Amino acid sequence: MSYRQPPSQTLPFFSHVIKNIASPSLAVKKLVYIYLLQHAEHEPDTALLSINTIQKSLTDQNPQLRALALRVMSGIRVPVISQIVSLGIKRGAGDMSPYVRRAAALAIPKCYALDPNTEPQLLDYLSTLLGDKQYFVTGAAVAAFLEMCPDRLDLIHPHYRSLARKLIDMDEWGQLSTLRLMGIYARKCFPRRTKSVRKLNTNANTKSKSTKGFYDSESDSDETDDQETEDIVVLDGDLELLLKTCQPLLQSRNSAVMIAVARTYLYLGTPDYLQLAIGPLVSLLRSVPDTQHIALYNIVQVCLSHPQPFVKYYTHFLVRSTDAPHIWRLKLELLTLIFPYSPSRLQSLILAELSHFSHSGSLDPALVRESVRAIGRCSQSSATSPKTSARCLRLLLAHIGSADSHLVAESLEVIRHLIQRDPDNHRTTVVRLAKHLDAATSPQARASIIWLVGEFAGLDPENNIATDVLRILAKGFADEAEAAKLQIVLLAAKVYVHHLNANPPPEPPKQEEPQPSPLFEGLDDEGGFRDPHLGSDPARQVPQLDQQKPHPVEALYQYVLLLTRYDTSYDLRDRARVYRALLSTPSSTQLASLLLLAPKPVPQTPSPSEARKAYVLGSASLVIGDEGGVGGLKGYEDLPPWVKEGREPDPALRDETGTTSVYEAGGRSITAGERLDAAASSNRAPEIAASPTKSLNGIGASKAKEKTLDDWLAEESEESEEESEDEEDEEDEEESECETEEEETDSEDEGESDRLVKG
Amino acid sequence: MSAIEALYIFDEHNTPLLEHTYTGRPPPGSTVLPLYLAHTSPRPSLIYLPSTNPPTLLYSIIQDQLLFLAPCSRDTEPLQVLEFLHRVADVLEDFLGAPLLASKIESNYDVVAQLLGEMVDGGVIANTEPNALRDVVEAPSSMRNLLGAVGLPGTTPSSLNPSTTPFSLSSRGPSLSISGRTSPTPAQTISPVPWRRANVRHTSNELYVDIIETLSVTIAPSGRPLAALANGSIAFTAKVSGIPDLLLHIACPGGINNTLSLPVFHPCVRLNRWRDRPGELSFVPPDGRFVLAGYEVDLLGPRALDAFSTDAKAAAAPKLNIPATAAIATSLGPTGVDFEVRLTLNARFAGKPKKGSQSGSGIGSGSAGSSSISRQAGGLSAVGMGIGGAGFGVSSSSSKGTSSSPTIEELVVHVPLPAGVKNVADLRVVKGGGDAGYAPGDRSIEWRLSSREIAALMALDRGAGQGVLATLRGTVVGDVDEGNTEGGPVRLGGEQRWEYDEGPASPASSLAPAEPNSNSKRGFGDEGIAAADARRVKANKVLMPSCVTVSFSVKGWLASGVRVESLSIDAKRSKGIGAGVQPYKGVKYVCVSRKGVEGRC
Repeated sequence: MSYRQPPSQTLPFFSHVIKNIASPSLAVKKLVYIYLLQHAEHEPDTALLSINTIQKSLTDQNPQLRALALRVMSGIRVPVISQIVSLGIKRGAGDMSPYVRRAAALAIPKCYALDPNTEPQLLDYLSTLLGDKQYFVTGAAVAAFLEMCPDRLDLIHPHYRSLARKLIDMDEWGQLSTLRLMGIYARKCFPRRTKSVRKLNTNANTKSKSTKGFYDSESDSDETDDQETEDIVVLDGDLELLLKTCQPLLQSRNSAVMIAVARTYLYLGTPDYLQLAIGPLVSLLRSVPDTQHIALYNIVQVCLSHPQPFVKYYTHFLVRSTDAPHIWRLKLELLTLIFPYSPSRLQSLILAELSHFSHSGSLDPALVRESVRAIGRCSQSSATSPKTSARCLRLLLAHIGSADSHLVAESLEVIRHLIQRDPDNHRTTVVRLAKHLDAATSPQARASIIWLVGEFAGLDPENNIATDVLRILAKGFADEAEAAKLQIVLLAAKVYVHHLNANPPPEPPKQEEPQPSPLFEGLDDEGGFRDPHLGSDPARQVPQLDQQKPHPVEALYQYVLLLTRYDTSYDLRDRARVYRALLSTPSSTQLASLLLLAPKPVPQTPSPSEARKAYVLGSASLVIGDEGGVGGLKGYEDLPPWVKEGREPDPALRDETGTTSVYEAGGRSITAGERLDAAASSNRAPEIAASPTKSLNGIGASKAKEKTLDDWLAEESEESEEESEDEEDEEDEEESECETEEEETDSEDEGESDRLVKG
Repeated sequence: MSAIEALYIFDEHNTPLLEHTYTGRPPPGSTVLPLYLAHTSPRPSLIYLPSTNPPTLLYSIIQDQLLFLAPCSRDTEPLQVLEFLHRVADVLEDFLGAPLLASKIESNYDVVAQLLGEMVDGGVIANTEPNALRDVVEAPSSMRNLLGAVGLPGTTPSSLNPSTTPFSLSSRGPSLSISGRTSPTPAQTISPVPWRRANVRHTSNELYVDIIETLSVTIAPSGRPLAALANGSIAFTAKVSGIPDLLLHIACPGGINNTLSLPVFHPCVRLNRWRDRPGELSFVPPDGRFVLAGYEVDLLGPRALDAFSTDAKAAAAPKLNIPATAAIATSLGPTGVDFEVRLTLNARFAGKPKKGSQSGSGIGSGSAGSSSISRQAGGLSAVGMGIGGAGFGVSSSSSKGTSSSPTIEELVVHVPLPAGVKNVADLRVVKGGGDAGYAPGDRSIEWRLSSREIAALMALDRGAGQGVLATLRGTVVGDVDEGNTEGGPVRLGGEQRWEYDEGPASPASSLAPAEPNSNSKRGFGDEGIAAADARRVKANKVLMPSCVTVSFSVKGWLASGVRVESLSIDAKRSKGIGAGVQPYKGVKYVCVSRKGVEGRC
């Protein structure tokens, strides 16, 4: 029976296999069906021969066989049979067995794909199936709905509440598609109402603000700019029902369901709801690595907007040596995201963690790089106290002397970013860096330190070290590597320009006298960088130099140019020529300052996942990022914006009273809610009476019977704990009851179908 | 929305086992596989392939060395697809037997094809519940085995009966779908409980609870645990007739609510019962083995963070009780190329011989931590008794580890090495036994201790109760070029610079300046060498391993102290189980660490 070799080779047997379709053996039949599904497209004519037999099976007594036949028939991709398939679906949708009904639901999109003209009939069947009382039929129906016509939300209105209630009982995949549908539905049908309340505490306000920021364009309508009051989102009763019923799903074993619930809470609910989802999200990290990877993306996504609740789960985000690169990268990001919100002890723990990976974790250069960057991100985040950010900087500075070139280069890169973001506060840092020139061995590191010194040469002309640095470097110019030499020349040029700007040439150039005392004062003011050795020798030597030469800066510049002139590197000589030409006339320095002293843009290092922020939680685009094309992958759909107040469909449409007729037309029972009421109020089952919680619930529900449905819903939310359990039990019982009923009716139906076949 | 377009399965040599296309025209497995392999390992579970037509998202999992791929041309929920792939693997395993082998799939293509056909309908995931699938697909072997055992020749599949019309077939449909357990049943095959098969019959009724905890512990260089989590899962095996309604009580010291966090449950568990009375799991189990629940335990407790004070008081450090920990000291020796791994075994896991004395002395001589653990031990052994009395049998799959005297098994220490390391010279176990292995080019050192060696080690410690120590030392050898340029100018004679590192340098005196005395006999000037060594120590830091991981398994002990209090069948709610039937119940506790205990330096 091994039909399952590569498909192209099995095609020649097509007709032989098809002959077996009438085989009495169920197993053989199934295999033939599978074969048929795989090959029908290649030989549509022969496939048509089998249709008749399949059609016969549609009226089989065994529900399994009927379901199978329906599935195969719809799966054969031969457009001619679309009408037959449509008929089959019609029959299947009214079938007694839920298996067949589910197969019918799943067949609908296939039939639609085959022949879009059948749409009106199919929509009819679909709306019947959406109201089905069997939860696994509804799950399939929702999936079919999403596939076929996700825009026809009018079909959902009557079933919304029953779907929301059935959510917990559906299978995982049904839950997934229902949650997806509900996301779209809720955005389109429940306007975001906000109530302005007096601000309670600033903390809550910032939280809601960040939520808003996340929705930005979408929530324009509700964004009241009133700072005094806080916007509290008022949830529609029906939306609240959905959010409440989702809650037990957070303990699902299916990670996708958890993410889907988190998505529902993030985009539809309030921060309070989201709190509930945080723990379960984190719990995904204990699953297998592949799930972990995807889950981390989602956690980062939530964390970007709501970092606060993640703080207490920090232990989960510590990087382990066995983590794969794509996992630790995200974990490091998470650590930096929660960093500003964590208590100071945790902050120091995180920093220790990061520095551990940055210097001793030389297992992977990329890890070193990422963790150094992470330190940088930690220190520049707005909420970090100056003390902590000074500590970050100290950590980074300590790396400069390391033997690991990756580490040094990356540290300097990050330091440069930090300094450029806030030059005024980092004046002393530059001084420190210059001190580190002696320690730094790697040419790249030296070069970037020199560049930084050059950048800040003009910052504070009264006490600048640039000239001194240049003087010291000029001494050892010959021993430098090329990269460093280039930067030295550049530094010389910059210093010279500053010199010329400060002292126009007609006057005798006044040397900016570096005064040791202000330098020290500056250090003291900064607090973090008290260094006893700092500013000792370079600052002291300048005055002597000053006395010896009247134009020390110019002399230095000329000296460096002279040195480069006889260098072996073409590049260096060319550079020197450019500077020489630029600065040939000391009186016109505009062009030179424009070129050399152009203000550099402040570098931004956002969290790496910031770029994906726009994607919806739980989508593949979120994982892939912009690589999949701007606007996400094919088939990616953003959540629709909230419907504007006043444009939403009438909530009365969701009243279930209107739907009973549909059910009755479908020949089936009342809605789940009503059944529940009836079951609870009758209060007859001895089992139920036996357990105290249940009798209690029974009373509550029977009271509820007199109330309107909305009241009942509100109450249900309070009692949902007991009820959902009861629901299960009762449904189980009722199912068995229904099934006996079904059996009774089944015989009648068979009689009918017999007649049909004969006819 | 059609999530699953196709499923490809490859074996460990990447030869295709099967391709099953559900919908659309996804790129065939032969095009996707090379693109998948082009990614550097470890490969992420979701790869975007823009070069295929249509551009494809490729989901992949590897289970039992088989590679499962699912291509997808549209944006879907990644976890949905991955969960599905895991379910496929689980279902196949359930039907074909535990280690999922390529040969098993090949010889049971018919079953696999039916399964795959049932699980996805037109790209929409339809049915992944193993029990529900058993209703519609026959398991390959159980049929034959059972029939052979019972000796019923007649009721084999319908191919024996020459019936031609579909009607006569369908009358026998139900008996087929029950996968031939026994007794013909009424025509209604649909089980009222979606996750449980209809009409389950077992001759021997058995219930097994396995609680497995996986440790993940990170220990800071100071020896203080940074994070310690135990991820637990409760695996349940139910072989009971009818529709039983079970109640499982679990408990642990400190209360379930405070200890277990973030639980997840199989859909069969009544969540409200758990919420109202934590520790009680009330459920109607599926037939066969399934994972009932998962949870995690923070072994450090919620106050752990407060203990991280800057002034490192030993008393404040949270106490952690795990069977084995390891620490690594690096940059030892005059040039900083030596390292030392110290493995500490908890004396409580010494095994049987010490059972009597251990529990008594443990309680008596206690710091807070050790007394708490011995309380756990007392609890565990008490449970063992209680279980025995109530008709439980502690399942004795291992003769060594029982709940009263847990033993460490399969102890392996891994030391991952940085890429710069070319070889490890002079690797030796200084104290303790086991074999340490390293092959040039490997990225890690592996040090295995057999249970016999552990027992020998433990014997050394008899009575002290402090735990035992085993040590491993080694010397890393970096890039030769790098070494020569660094060491060349100082060294006379051009000998390998690591040669004299083997001196008995004590681990305490690690950095260079104190060292040169031991080398002065070689006739170098002390100062020059000291400076050069200091520089080399710095340079060699890059070659040092940064952490060490320990793997082990302990049977009969759980890090969290969770235990099964009772397991009972609710006779009123259950159906179809014979009156007075007392199923056999078994409990097993396993605590494992798969490179889970990590010591940093």
